[in-house]
This record gives sequence, C-alpha cells and structure tokens, in this order.
Amino acid sequence: MKIQKIINHLAVITTFAAAGSALAAKPGDRLSFISCPIVRDTASVPCWLTEYDGELYYMGIQTDVSAPWQPPYLGHKVLVEATVSDKPRICGGIVLEPINSTVMPELDDSCNTMLPAEDKYQIDFNPRPPGPSSGRLAFDRPPPNAPAEPAELPDHQTFEITFDFDRSISFRHPGVMMRIVNYAQAVNAQTIEVTGRRGATLLSTGETITEGAAIAQRRAEEVASLLRGVGLKANVSMKWSDTPMDADGVEDWKNRSVTVVVSK
Amino acid sequence: MKHLIESARRQVPRTDRRRLSVLSAMVALCMTGTVIAADAGHSPARQWWSPGDGAMLPAKPEYANGFGRFALVNTDGPIDTRKHPFFEPLGINGRACVTCHQPSDAMSISVETIQQRWRETQGADPLFAAVDGMNCPHLPPEKPESHSLLLERGLIRVFLPWPPKAADGSAVKPEFDIEVVRDPTGCNLHSEYGLYSENPTISVYRRPRPVINMRYVTASKFGVSNFIGKNGTLAAINPDTGKPVNMNLMADAREATVRTQAASAASGHLQAARALTPAELDAIEKFEMQLYGAQIESSGAGRLDEAGGPQALGPMAMANGRDGLLGNNLSNYVFPIGEGWYDLPDGKDADESARNAFRESVARGHDAFFYRTFWIKDSMHINSVGLGNPIKRTCATCHGMHMTAMDTANGWMDLGTTNLPWALEEPANPWNKRKAQMPLFKVTCHADQPPHPFLGRVIYTQDPGRALISGKCDDVGAIVIQQFRGLSARAPYFSNGSAASLREVVDYYDRRYNIQYSEQEKQDLVNFLSVL
Ligand code: HEC
Ligand code: HEC
Repeated sequence: MKIQKIINHLAVITTFAAAGSALAAKPGDRLSFISCPIVRDTASVPCWLTEYDGELYYMGIQTDVSAPWQPPYLGHKVLVEATVSDKPRICGGIVLEPINSTVMPELDDSCNTMLPAEDKYQIDFNPRPPGPSSGRLAFDRPPPNAPAEPAELPDHQTFEITFDFDRSISFRHPGVMMRIVNYAQAVNAQTIEVTGRRGATLLSTGETITEGAAIAQRRAEEVASLLRGVGLKANVSMKWSDTPMDADGVEDWKNRSVTVVVSK
Repeated sequence: MKHLIESARRQVPRTDRRRLSVLSAMVALCMTGTVIAADAGHSPARQWWSPGDGAMLPAKPEYANGFGRFALVNTDGPIDTRKHPFFEPLGINGRACVTCHQPSDAMSISVETIQQRWRETQGADPLFAAVDGMNCPHLPPEKPESHSLLLERGLIRVFLPWPPKAADGSAVKPEFDIEVVRDPTGCNLHSEYGLYSENPTISVYRRPRPVINMRYVTASKFGVSNFIGKNGTLAAINPDTGKPVNMNLMADAREATVRTQAASAASGHLQAARALTPAELDAIEKFEMQLYGAQIESSGAGRLDEAGGPQALGPMAMANGRDGLLGNNLSNYVFPIGEGWYDLPDGKDADESARNAFRESVARGHDAFFYRTFWIKDSMHINSVGLGNPIKRTCATCHGMHMTAMDTANGWMDLGTTNLPWALEEPANPWNKRKAQMPLFKVTCHADQPPHPFLGRVIYTQDPGRALISGKCDDVGAIVIQQFRGLSARAPYFSNGSAASLREVVDYYDRRYNIQYSEQEKQDLVNFLSVL
C-alpha cells in the first residue's frame, strides 16, 4: 500500500518534471492545485498570490466580507480551482479568473510568505481601502429575498450549498440558509430533503484528492439540524453518500455540497 | 493610599503630568469617600453605592475618576432606588446588582474601588461573598489572599457546567476534551466545585461588564439572523419574542437578553432563594434600557459635552445616538468627532494651550484607532470570516459598531487575551517569587474535528470563553467585545483584567500585532480612549 503510494508520488513527480515550466499555462487553461498562499503588501490593500509549477499566480485582493472571492489563510495551504485569464498580470502574478479557493484544514507553518510593498505593484481597482469603507460594504449583495407574492412561488425549490474542503457549516452559510428558511416558511413547506455529498478534485498533476469519509454525513446532519433548529414545521429527511463524487478538473468544488429540496 | 496615587499617576497621560497634583488631591478625596464637590450646576457625586441605600439616583449624576469625570444619564429622570430590584439586596448574601455595577464606575467596578471597599469594611462587604467574590468558596474568607483575583485584578468567579447545557437544558456535545493544567485558586480541582466533582464545573474569572448604553449592546439591526454570522450555527433566541438576538451580552454571549441575564444574576451573584418576579424583571430591564453613560469631562480636554464639541462624546450623545449601526465607514464613523479638535490654535493662556494640545492628541488618537493600519493575524472570528489571514486593517475592523466600538453582532473573537501564547503569564523562573494567578486549561480538539485554524488541535487557555457555551474548538478563547464607554472609570481592562491601564491595553495590541506604534501614537490612543 505504502509502496504503491510512493510509486504514485514518483509518477507525479516525473510528469511534473517532464511538463516543466516550458508548458506554462495558457489563457483558458483550467488549473487545480494545492500550494501555499503568498501575501504581497501594496500601498493600499494587500494582494494574494500563489506559486504553482514555477509560475506566480494572482488570486485576488483583500476587500471585505461582502466580496465574492475571499482570501485564504497564511499558515495553511490553499486548494485553487481556477481558469487562467488573458488579463495583464496583477501584483506580478498571472490572473486566475474565475477562481474558487478553499483553505486546507490542517495547519502548515511553511506557508508564511509575506512580501513587502513595491512601487511597481499598484492596486488601482480597489473597492475597499484597508480601513473604513466609503459606504457600507464594498460589494452590493443581491437584494435580500425580493418579496415575491406567495401565489407565484413554485411548489418546490432546490438549493445548492457548497462547502470548504473537508468542512461543514461555516460563516459562508447564513445567507443561503436564510433563503431556504424564508422559502419554506412562505410556502408552508411540508417536506425538506437534505442530501450530503463528499467531494473530490482532480488536480492538474493528475492526482485526485478526496474529502474525509464522514464529511457527507456530517454536512447532511448539520444542515438538517439547523433547519429543524429554526423551528420549521416541515418533515426534514436526510441522506448522504460516502462515495466520493467523480472529479474531472472542471469546477470540482461544486461537489463539496449539500442539496436541499423544499416542497409544499 | 500611596499605591493608589501611584497607579493613578501611571494612568495619567504624560502630556498632562503637571495636573498631577490636582489629580492626587482628587484621588485622595475619592479614597476617603468624601463627596466630590461638583462644578456649580452639576449633581454631587456619591462614591460607594450600598445595596438598599434607598437614595435617589439623579437624572445626570457625575463622578470623578482619574481622567476627569464620568456621567450617567437616566432618560426617565431621577430614579427612586427604594424597592428597586437593581438596588435592593434580593438574596441571602446582602448584595444587589449595584454592588458590582457601581454608578461611579461606569456601572462596572474598578479595582481601586474594590480595594477601597476592602479597607473600609475589612473585607466584610457583601461584594466579597464566598460564592464568587473569592477565588473559591472553600477558602478562609477573612484572608485577602482568598480574594486575590478580585482585589488585584477586579475579577469575579464565573462558574459554568461542563459539558455545557443548551438554553433548553439539553447537553451540548463538546468538540474537545478539557483538562486542568494549573489551579492556583484551588477551585477547578476542588472535590465539590471542580471539573472532576459530582457536578463538573469550570471556574473562570471575569470583570463585571458596564451596564450602560444597553440599547446599543442589545441592538439587533445589523448582522442578526437565525444563523450566527461567524460560524453559521443557530443564533440564540429571545425567549419572550422567539426572535434571534445579537449575542453581545457577557464575555461568552451565554445570556440571550437582559432579562435572562438578570434572572441568572439574581440566583448566581445575589444567591436569591426565589426567582425574580415579572415585575422585578420589567423594572431591571426598563432601568437598564434607559440608562446611558460616558466620560463627560476630561482633565486634559475639558468638558466633553460642550455645544459644538465632538458629536460622539458625553452621555447625551449616547442617549441620542443611533444603535445597531455599522460605523466602520465614512458615512457613520465608529466615533464621529467632527473637525473641531484638529489643528487648534495656541490658546489665550497656558491652560487653554494645554487643553488644545490635549484635544489635538485625542483627535490624533481617534485617527490612530480609525485609520492606522496594521496586520491582524491569527485572530479567530475576524481572520476566519472571509477577510483572510492576515488582513491589513485597523482597530475599527473588529471594533466597528457606531458609538460603542463593539462588533455589531455576535462579537466574540480571539484576541489572544486568554489563549497562550498571547495571554499575560507570570514568567516562571527561580528569581520570580510571584506565582501564576490564573487557571490554565488544556483543550484537545477531537480527532474527527478540523483543527482550530490558527491554534491547531491542542490549545492552552486561561478562559475558553465562548467555547464554554458552544463546545466548539474554534471558539476557544473567543471573548465578546465590551463597549468602549466609561473606560476611565473602570480599570482594569479586558475580560480577565489583564491590562491594568489604558496604556497596557495599547501596549498589548502593540505586542500582539507587532504594530510598532510610536510613543506619540500610544499616548494619543490612550488620550482618545480616556475621553470615551
Ligand atoms: C458579584 C458581582 C456581580 C453582581 C452582584 C451582579 N453582576 Fe452583573 N456582571 C458581573 C460580571 C462578572 C459580569 C460579566 C460576566 C461574564 O462576562 O461572563 C456581569 C455582566 C452583566 C451584564 C452584561 C453586560 C454586557 O454588556 O455584557 C449585565 C446586563 C449585568 N451584569 C446585569 C446585572 C444585574 C441586573 C444584576 C442583579 C440582578 C447583576 N448584574 C449583578 C458581576 C456582577
Ligand atoms: C482582532 C480584533 C481586534 C482588533 C484588531 C482590536 N481589538 Fe480591541 N478588542 C477585541 C476583543 C475581542 C476585545 C475583548 C477582549 C477581552 O476582553 O479579552 C477587545 C477589547 C478592547 C477594549 C475594551 C477593554 C475593556 O475592558 O472594556 C479596548 C479599549 C480595545 N479593545 C481597544 C483596541 C484598540 C485601541 C485597538 C487598535 C490598536 C483594538 N482594540 C484592536 C478585538 C480587537
């Protein structure tokens, strides 16, 4: 078993070496990899970079909690699933867009690079400076659940909840959970079906990484218990599958999920 | 006395040393319990407020403190405290709410007042009651050492069941195991009161929080829903309305409302044999919700409530201000102070020049609080809520609520005040005769849990904070931010009293985040905090 693992590892390394940086990623290429995030200070907000296969990539900048993309953590590796864009480099890095990134749960002291500000790296599209905002938050949130007339609400509605790697409910979820609760209350829902999944991601190295075995169940149970906990009258049922989802390197992050079907 | 004046001296901003003699005289007066003659037109101040004293609490009483004067505003007018459940002893130990929430001390209680009370009563005041006014109830009550945490750091014993119980009484399944590593108070290993007793209990030691401006503390207008913004779990519910609350009460948000809080305080701190009646709960809630407080005069900056002065200062600003508002922006500000205290001219005389210089320092301190960036790193519930780790931000990032500098909702965060390696610890070496004062716990997160993102699976802490209620690994050492009001009247600071002065608060941040403040910035920040 162990030997097999080492052989796999070697295989990965050889492919790696063979590919080399000669085959640098082109615009439109999809990349999935795990590496250390890097913070580069600027005269305004810091930008977030990461290195992969000898190349420096730009992930995004610090904004605030309303942002669609949220920076990872130093002290942890980050799993990046993204597309290489043709935009000019930012902060020295090739721009990844669209990008999904998730913090790997285990701590990793080696991810500790902070680079100082340099005049040549300027952030001129800054929606929120590193202090007080000019208005409330940097990004407009979608209007909070537009009050649709009950008559027009569909009989059932499906909600997808996605998660960080190997993690369950977090700060990301109050918004989607409230949408579920509001809909269920508006239609006086009778049944809610919760389905938990265990994700997997095909990395650009050809290796597939999978989440822990118990994660699908944990997600289903947590979502179900939150929906019961807010006092919905509906009968909440759950199921999950411990078999990891198929991974093909295209938006595999969507597999780290729970589906909630709410019916009248 | 000498010691107290010394500590007042430490509190005095350096730019203001020449006023020290006046101040020492003031401190001396306070210490003898003499009523300070107020400026013409202001109500005279009382110092110690005894339970059942029966006096009227004036509509706008003022009280001297080491930085100037603190004032309360009762928007309902003077309060008749006779038979008032906040002021009457309701239990067997002779305490009332007012025992630990003293008007002169911004409705908290300073360690100076506690020491004074010990001297005046030889430790007989109900404040020192065994239940939580001692390091542990089994100790000999007459010895000051038995009350060392109260006498030296202003701390009350807070004892909570382990594992935690949910609001409905059901047991919460913790995500971690907890062990007692160090037990200087003898309580956590005690056969009756400790963690391994028949009713497993954890004792931590915390400062009484200021019971003023509760309209702000309990506001639920921003960031409140059924799910906690910090981690997506279920928010606490107001049992009377069924609606979620902002979870900003107590160091660990264990109380949903001021009513549930008052009920627990009566049975806990007051050892009341019966539950409070609905009428008593109404009276306490009504009193707390109409009570405002802030510093009103600064020994450096003069009156803080002058017409045209900084909008955020003085208790009337609190009485009239908007609650539940995010202030970390240029439309609301956390503390709107206007332009009036920047770039002031030389005064007519030396006094006015000194006052203007102090006001400019306050304005610079405000700017240090609001605009001065530094790297905020490894702080759970701020770095972990979508901003990234680290973030380059300011004090106001965590302290964002308009007028109070609390977090708008579920304001618990791990600043490091109770978790190692940042918590204040005695150096252990053969030359240091002092022993560690605080308990130390070892928390081991279960293997089926993700580790704490910044502290890993094993955490040493003096107070697990929110985790004592939620049972969550990620909540270890997370403490609900207190309001910044009346700071001058209620040293020491932080929930565990680990910062003896405002200067020590600022120094703590300088170390914690390697801010590299200049001496000037530190003084400006202290001066700014002292006028709130
Ligand atoms: C023995 C001292 C003591 C007495 C007596 C006492 N309290 Fe407190 N009070 C505390 C301490 C300590 C805390 C903070 C506890 C914590 O953070 O866990 C506190 C916190 C509070 C808070 C929360 C404020 C905030 O912003 O979080 C309120 C409100 C309060 N007390 C009201 C009362 C009332 C009402 C009574 C009387 C029924 C009372 N207290 C009696 C010590 C006391
Ligand atoms: C990472 C978030 C964070 C940042 C940044 C932060 N604070 Fe705090 N602050 C807290 C928390 C959490 C508490 C409560 C901690 C405790 O009681 O143990 C607190 C408490 C305080 C208190 C209240 C003390 C009391 O006992 O009433 C003051 C004053 C304070 N902070 C000042 C500042 C200043 C000045 C800065 C900027 C140098 C700052 N804070 C930056 C989180 C933060």
